[in-house]
Amino acid sequence: MAKEELEIEISPTGKVTVRTIGIKGPHCIDAAEMVARIIGTVESKQLTAEFYEAQTEVRQSTDIKQRW
Amino acid sequence: MSTVLVVAPLIIANWPVITAAVTAAVGTMGFSVLNRAERERQSVDSRVTRAEIEVEDADILPEASGTCEELVVERDGVRAVFSRDVRGALRVCMEGSGHSKAELKRIGEELIGRVTQQYVYHRVVTELKQRNMAIVNEEVAADRTVKIRVRNW
Repeated sequence: MAKEELEIEISPTGKVTVRTIGIKGPHCIDAAEMVARIIGTVESKQLTAEFYEAQTEVRQSTDIKQRW
Repeated sequence: MSTVLVVAPLIIANWPVITAAVTAAVGTMGFSVLNRAERERQSVDSRVTRAEIEVEDADILPEASGTCEELVVERDGVRAVFSRDVRGALRVCMEGSGHSKAELKRIGEELIGRVTQQYVYHRVVTELKQRNMAIVNEEVAADRTVKIRVRNW
């Protein structure tokens, strides 16, 4: 599974950029906005290709045979 | 990458937090904090140029009465006086002889940027730790941009 991370850049002028890495779907906005709310107000928002990728879930089923 | 947000920081803090951010930030620019005796030792020079800067998006919370809400830093004869005005805004008065007003303003704005950077850094790191998020990498680039990588929420 890809690592889900946030990269926060704080420039010497105080400007902040929050970037999500490996977080697919709308959940990435929630993660970035959580950090933004701590700092101040969002000036601009850019969604990249990964945002439109659906979050995939791998389901594995196991058959258990009971022995008597 | 999936989302990129550009955030304008908002400083809301009490005076001790601002003092800590100023003290940490000015050192990176070669300024040092003056104590009361050092401040009083300086004679008032009538030729000194002054430039006032009000820091936008900064709200300094009031302290108990009697607290000195002023901090003075200096480098090579250029002085920056950080203070809280009556409305609670952060104000920086730049002073120095042999410098133009524009030059002092430029130095002052650079100082304010570094103070904001320090404030944001401490606020982010403190909040993320409280939310049990792990800082997996931290570095300072050549241009002094601080980069923090965080995992797990």
